[in-house]
Amino acid sequence: MGTDRPGTGLRSGWHGLVVTAAVLALAGRATAHSGSLGGSVASAAVPTWLTVLTGGVVVGGSFLFTTLLTDHEAMRGVNWWRVALPTPASLRQAAVSVLRLASFGVLLLVVATGFVGPTTPTRNFALLAVWVGWWAGYTTTTYLVGNTWTAVNPWLAPVALVRRVRDRFVDSTESHPLPDRWGTWPAVAGLLALVFLEVVSPVGRDPRLLAVVVVGYSLVTVAGAVRYGDAWFDRVDPVSRVFAAYGRVAPLQRDGDGGVTLRLPSTALTEDPLPDRSGEVAFVVALLWVTTYDGLVATPTWAAAVEPVVALGVPALLVYAVVCLAGFAGFLAVYRLAARTVRDTADTYVTARAIERWFAPALLPIAAGYHLAHFLGYFLGLAPALGVVALGPFAPPPTPQALVLPGWFGTVKLLCVLGGHVLAIWVAHSLSFELFPGVLAAIRSQYPSVVVMVFYTMSSLWVITQPYVPPPYV
Amino acid sequence: MTDHAPTLDPARDTAVPDGETVVARCPYCRRPFRREHARDLHVGERHDPTDEERERYESAREQERDDLWLFHAKAVVALGVTYAATVILYMAVLGSFF
Repeated sequence: MGTDRPGTGLRSGWHGLVVTAAVLALAGRATAHSGSLGGSVASAAVPTWLTVLTGGVVVGGSFLFTTLLTDHEAMRGVNWWRVALPTPASLRQAAVSVLRLASFGVLLLVVATGFVGPTTPTRNFALLAVWVGWWAGYTTTTYLVGNTWTAVNPWLAPVALVRRVRDRFVDSTESHPLPDRWGTWPAVAGLLALVFLEVVSPVGRDPRLLAVVVVGYSLVTVAGAVRYGDAWFDRVDPVSRVFAAYGRVAPLQRDGDGGVTLRLPSTALTEDPLPDRSGEVAFVVALLWVTTYDGLVATPTWAAAVEPVVALGVPALLVYAVVCLAGFAGFLAVYRLAARTVRDTADTYVTARAIERWFAPALLPIAAGYHLAHFLGYFLGLAPALGVVALGPFAPPPTPQALVLPGWFGTVKLLCVLGGHVLAIWVAHSLSFELFPGVLAAIRSQYPSVVVMVFYTMSSLWVITQPYVPPPYV
Repeated sequence: MTDHAPTLDPARDTAVPDGETVVARCPYCRRPFRREHARDLHVGERHDPTDEERERYESAREQERDDLWLFHAKAVVALGVTYAATVILYMAVLGSFF
């Protein structure tokens, strides 16, 4: 869920904000627009097309480099390296209890300040906490550090409470399993719907609406989790799914007995293909697509393309919805086509469906890298405001401080995208060696996915080098 | 080193197109292969091979090594060409080449 949308909301309040803190403001032109990715990258003499092309070359070049690494045992040595961190079970349980209560408290505070807090976006705790603190900041920790969502999920405390009350008063042991054939498609639909809502509605700038959405989401989540049990968070709740997926990229991983191990980033992805369930691959592709979609609707090209269509009388919302679904279908189709092509290049009887599941984890570092590029500047820019407003959520200072990021920060974003892709190349390389015997078949099996990755890199680099334009009509 | 390798379920994850006869099949996990070469490599890598299977594995590896040398030579040339082309392109665009 690439949420540049809240950026719009917070950005509109941004102009009236007195920027008082300048950190590393070496560059003359501060890219203060809450870390908007736009415009800051192509400011050097290097034209956009060359930046985009270079990204493709770097990814293709890293593939050629990895083909030189063919010692399977050495690769496993890197991928399987781990150190168990001492985390006593009692400490873990205590931490989880405290975190659950604290996060539930924050949820209540978000709802309260959403309904009664100031309506200036940069002074409203609910908007800052949800979009800056949670969606930009917290999400970043799930792939840079580890997935802690199973501990901090604020809906677990109310779910446990409602379950206890129900068990006490209702004598029912009837269970309601989710139909197996749905797989994880509900989560896919939920993710697309959430991002669509966030793009087309003012939920990023209107704290009252945000509070209503949070309350609605909470009611649905608690009801669903009480009725369907843990399967709800595993297969329906898109938020939990997103963090679980990003968490696989992180260096800290849970091992079998609940302890924590330190790994090299993204190496955990080389161990588990996705479960054999309908919708698993689609969810990973959707994760990749929604960030691209969110960036895409804020480009001048999008504005120029949408305006004539809307002028013909097509409802703008319909255009946004169709492109959201069509783009997802397109990304999925490209990935599926690549998986089918692997059957030929690797000369194998492994089914296309198995190949899809096998290589899908390699897409996760790409999604994470793009998320980081999309949100790091936004988070750093508004984090001081969040900090100050959090000290007095009901009486925030009139002009919270903000951070000005230097001009070279655009290059950092490029490096995030490229870093994600290079990790993805490594993961795909490792996975291919686990799937196909020998060396040459494994290398040849990667041709289609490398082409797809070059395509993804170049399209996401193109999106982030575009200047920011508020999406029209919404 | 503990084995963390992901596993394939041949019964579920492989399919032989109709009308095609499988040339080689792994005697341990029944995974079908399009070539004996791939099967021999698979048996040596994934199972505990007999002496005869180990010999076939070694010889398949030998053949891989020769093919791989040629492949790597091409990869290195491609890398060099890409690198040079990128540098020249940047020089041209930034205006210090022509």
